[in-house]
Amino acid sequence: MLNRLAVLVLFLLLSALVIPAHLLAQSNEKPAAAKPQGTEINPHDLSGVWNLHMPQTARRYIGNTFSADEPSLTPWAEEKYKATKPSNGPRTHSLQETDDPVLKSCLPPGVPRIYLQPFPVQIVQTPKEVVMLFEYDHIVRHIFVDGRQHPADVTPTYMGHSIGHWDADTLVVDTAGFNDKTWLDRTGHPHSEELRVVERFRRTAADAMQVDITMEDAKALAKPWTSQLVFQLRPQWDIMEQVCTDNENFLGFEK
Amino acid sequence: MNPRLVTFPMIALLTLAAAGSARAHHGAAVYDTAKTVTVKGTVTDFQFTNPHVLIYIDSKDESGNVQKWQGELTSPNHLARAGWTKSTVKVGDQVTLTGNPSKSGATNLWLRKVAGPNGDIATGGGEN
Repeated sequence: MLNRLAVLVLFLLLSALVIPAHLLAQSNEKPAAAKPQGTEINPHDLSGVWNLHMPQTARRYIGNTFSADEPSLTPWAEEKYKATKPSNGPRTHSLQETDDPVLKSCLPPGVPRIYLQPFPVQIVQTPKEVVMLFEYDHIVRHIFVDGRQHPADVTPTYMGHSIGHWDADTLVVDTAGFNDKTWLDRTGHPHSEELRVVERFRRTAADAMQVDITMEDAKALAKPWTSQLVFQLRPQWDIMEQVCTDNENFLGFEK
Repeated sequence: MNPRLVTFPMIALLTLAAAGSARAHHGAAVYDTAKTVTVKGTVTDFQFTNPHVLIYIDSKDESGNVQKWQGELTSPNHLARAGWTKSTVKVGDQVTLTGNPSKSGATNLWLRKVAGPNGDIATGGGEN
C-alpha cells in the first residue's frame, strides 16, 4: 500500500516536472504561428498610397467640410463667409457663378482643404522630408523633418510651410505661412494669413492611418477647429494624373 | 448584340456609397437631385477625361424625333480603379442612362447608372 502510494506520488511529481519540460520543448521547436502578412506595423513608416475612408457617421459632412457642426467664426470671418458663393454644400451655386478659388481658378486648395478633394495621396519619406503627392491636381506638400523651424519672415503660400517631428508613434506636423487666398473647406469658411494648422499622423493598423487636425486662426476662428480623418492604405493603387485646368469642356457642359 | 457591352464592369459601390454624395458634388445647383430620369439611346461620343467622364447619346422619342442627351460621371481616375477604360463605352453602343436632370430643362444628366443592352449595369456619378 505504501509502495503504491509512493509510486503514485512519485509519478505525480515526475509528471509535474516532465510536462512543463515537454511544453518548453514544444515552444522551442515550434515557434508561435507567424502573424499574417501585413499585420506588422512600423509606426514610423507612413509610406504608400492612402485614400480617405471615413466612418459612416462622418460621410454626411466630409464631402464638403470637417465637422458636422459649424466652426466658431469671428465676426470678421462670419461676414466673409456669408459673402462667399460656394458650389459645394447647402448654399450651392453653379460653376459659372461660384467664387470658389479652386473651382473658378484652379488655385491650390490649401491645408487642410486638400484632404477634401476626393482623390488619394501618396506619402514618400526621405530622411529630410515627408513628401505628400496628392492625386488632385498634382499638389505636393513638403513636410521638413530635419529639425528646421519656420522661416522668420516667411513668404505666404497656398499650401503653407510645413515642419514635422516624431512624438513617439505620432508624426506632428506644424504648418504656417499661409496666404489668405484659400478656403478652409469646400463650403466657403475663410481664414487669414494667421492660420496655423497642426496635424497628428498616426498609423493605427497595417492599412489604416488617423490624422487629427487642429486649425487655429485668431482673426478667423473664435475657437480652434478640430477634425479627425481616417485613411485606408491602397497597396494596389498608383497615383494618376488629374489636371484641374483641363475643364473647359466640362464648364461648357453644365449650363 | 454587342458582346463587349456584356463586360461593363461594376463600379464599386464606394463611388455612390459616400453618403450625401449629392451634397459632395460641386455644381449640384444645376441638377434636380430629387428627380430621376431614364433615357435610352445610341452613343455619339464618350469622353474618358478629367474632370468628369461624359457620355453623349442620340435618343429617339415616340414620334421618332432625335433628342441629344448628355450625361456626366465622376472622374475617370475613380472609374479606372473600378475597371473602366477609354474603350468601355464606344460610339454606336446602345445604352440606358439614368440620372438627375438639369433644372434648366437642358438635356443634361448627372448620371447614376449606365446600362448596356443586356441590363448590365455600371453605377457611376458620386462625388467630385
